Amino acid sequence: MKSYLKLTSFELSRFFKLYLVLIAITIISQIIGVIVYSNSYLNEMNKVIYEEQMPKAEFLEVYGRSSLFNLTQTLWFLGPIALCIVALIFYVFFIWYRDWFGKNTFIYRLLMLPTARINVFFAKATSIFLMVLGLIALQIVLLFIENMIYQWMVPNEFRTDMVVSQVIQNFHILDIIIPTTITKLILYYAVGFMAVFVIFTGILLERSYRWKGIFLGIGYCAIAAAVFVLPIIIQELLQKNYLYLVELIIIEVILGLFVAACSIWLSSFLLKHRITV
Amino acid sequence: MIEVKDITKKFGRKQVLKGVSFSANKGEITCLIGINGVGKTTILNAIMALTPINKGQILIDGEKIKKESFDKLTFIPDAITVLPNMTIADSMQFMRDYYKSWNEQRATDLLQFFKLNPTDKIAQLSKGNTAKVNLLLGLALDVDYILMDEPFSGIDMFSREQIADVFTSHLIEDRGVIITTHEISDIEHLIDKVVLLDEGVVIKQFNTEEVREMEGKSVVDVMREVYQS
Amino acid sequence: MKVNFNNRDPVYVQVVRHFKEQIATNKLEPGQEIPSRRELAGQLKINPNTVQRAYKEMEEQGLIYTERNLPSKITRDEEMLQSVREELLLEAVHAFIASVHSIQVPFDELVELLREKYEEASDEKGGQQ
Repeated sequence: MKSYLKLTSFELSRFFKLYLVLIAITIISQIIGVIVYSNSYLNEMNKVIYEEQMPKAEFLEVYGRSSLFNLTQTLWFLGPIALCIVALIFYVFFIWYRDWFGKNTFIYRLLMLPTARINVFFAKATSIFLMVLGLIALQIVLLFIENMIYQWMVPNEFRTDMVVSQVIQNFHILDIIIPTTITKLILYYAVGFMAVFVIFTGILLERSYRWKGIFLGIGYCAIAAAVFVLPIIIQELLQKNYLYLVELIIIEVILGLFVAACSIWLSSFLLKHRITV
Repeated sequence: MIEVKDITKKFGRKQVLKGVSFSANKGEITCLIGINGVGKTTILNAIMALTPINKGQILIDGEKIKKESFDKLTFIPDAITVLPNMTIADSMQFMRDYYKSWNEQRATDLLQFFKLNPTDKIAQLSKGNTAKVNLLLGLALDVDYILMDEPFSGIDMFSREQIADVFTSHLIEDRGVIITTHEISDIEHLIDKVVLLDEGVVIKQFNTEEVREMEGKSVVDVMREVYQS
Repeated sequence: MKVNFNNRDPVYVQVVRHFKEQIATNKLEPGQEIPSRRELAGQLKINPNTVQRAYKEMEEQGLIYTERNLPSKITRDEEMLQSVREELLLEAVHAFIASVHSIQVPFDELVELLREKYEEASDEKGGQQ
């Protein structure tokens, strides 16, 4: 346990600089986004109302009120989120491969630690998970700040005020990233954690069997995904909902736990008996 | 005792080890010699469970390797095992954090012995100093067995001398050492036992003093006989 | 202490021989402490086990002795010390005769030459002192 915690903090510190860069990009880009969006709306409004003498009411009819929701559709806002997602997906792979490749062969050290090797696996998974959580927390805080800046810049009569949770609910992507109910939160993140376990297992299959392992790894990920979505596919194929939503969720939870357990067991086996430096 | 019993290893179609057996005792320096590419490194990796073997068995003091074993035997590979952006002090801290067998006094001794500067970054070290850091991190552990892969390869003469000095010093004490090399001259008088490998098999293993005493031959004489016949 | 070892004779035998030479030439005196196994291994850059074996051999031959846990010492046994000198001398003479024999020099000529060269060497040595 002690080794696991130490390894986790070590893994976090290894990505920390890049992580800070991601955070900085997100903050800067989104704050600039609010200002640019608000300004351009205000400019438009000034032009139309003061230069072209359009009445306020007509302007609002033609252009609509501005809202934070519109802001979330801009590249300023979505760009950094996409970047963070891509970076973290990339890091799911890089967190393993970096230890094998390049001048350093840190994997020797990791595998020679006097602790169960599965701890390395858990530490890497946990650090990915924590980094995802961190970025989400950042996004929530940022949304509040952005809302404040926005309300401060755009006069009352031209905006539709929304609370942050409404913005999130209105926007499907955000709704997945930042679930608004506890059930959703647990489900989405459990699925995320499971996915990380499955992908890690795929990577370890590749690292254990090399060329053959690439196919084994992809195969394992495909089977795991298939097992997990099987109930949904069956229902879709049969065009009938045999199960209530709650039942479906329970089955999915069981399947998810099963897939995660298989991945952990297989990874542990590979790390102990099959891994090659 | 480390016992390697009839191990075989394939890489794809290539059979690298074809039934290798030997043993290495505590308190002795056992040297695996072979022309490059005969699987010496693979044998060490296999002992440390860093690569699977196809057949055979490896026992450390009669037991299979387990997580606790890594506090009992250490491997010093030909490559640095800590991160390049660490300083020497960082890498020592890393070892201290995880290994019960880390011996602070010996670590300090080694730092002085090798004349290393703890604030130096790993990435900026010369090849010789990198090898010394590698040795430091391995030797500072209170282990029974030390495995070293080609500690002398590609290193300047003075570093080689310094590293050779380790073998006669209190830093090795009564530990069991397995060392691989293709260049015997630096350590000819330091080793107890030689295991000659070729084409994935052990072609001869002998005690160096015995060969000198019984046959009047040097290690190199035996190598010449074996490899050139 | 610096010794050039050859690679074909057992190193422990060479270490014992080295000690005998030191004793015969009084560089090691009777009762003098000898280095520990590890010290000597470090000085000579040889395996500590080899030194151990050489010490064991010397102990058996009575060249060194060990009291309790104290460091080993060179023997004070005069007879022993004398025999070391003799042994080395005898060995040297054997080697000398063997090589001279192959040149087939008459004995008288050899003795004469020997005396001449020996005195020359002693003079040189005396001159330096």
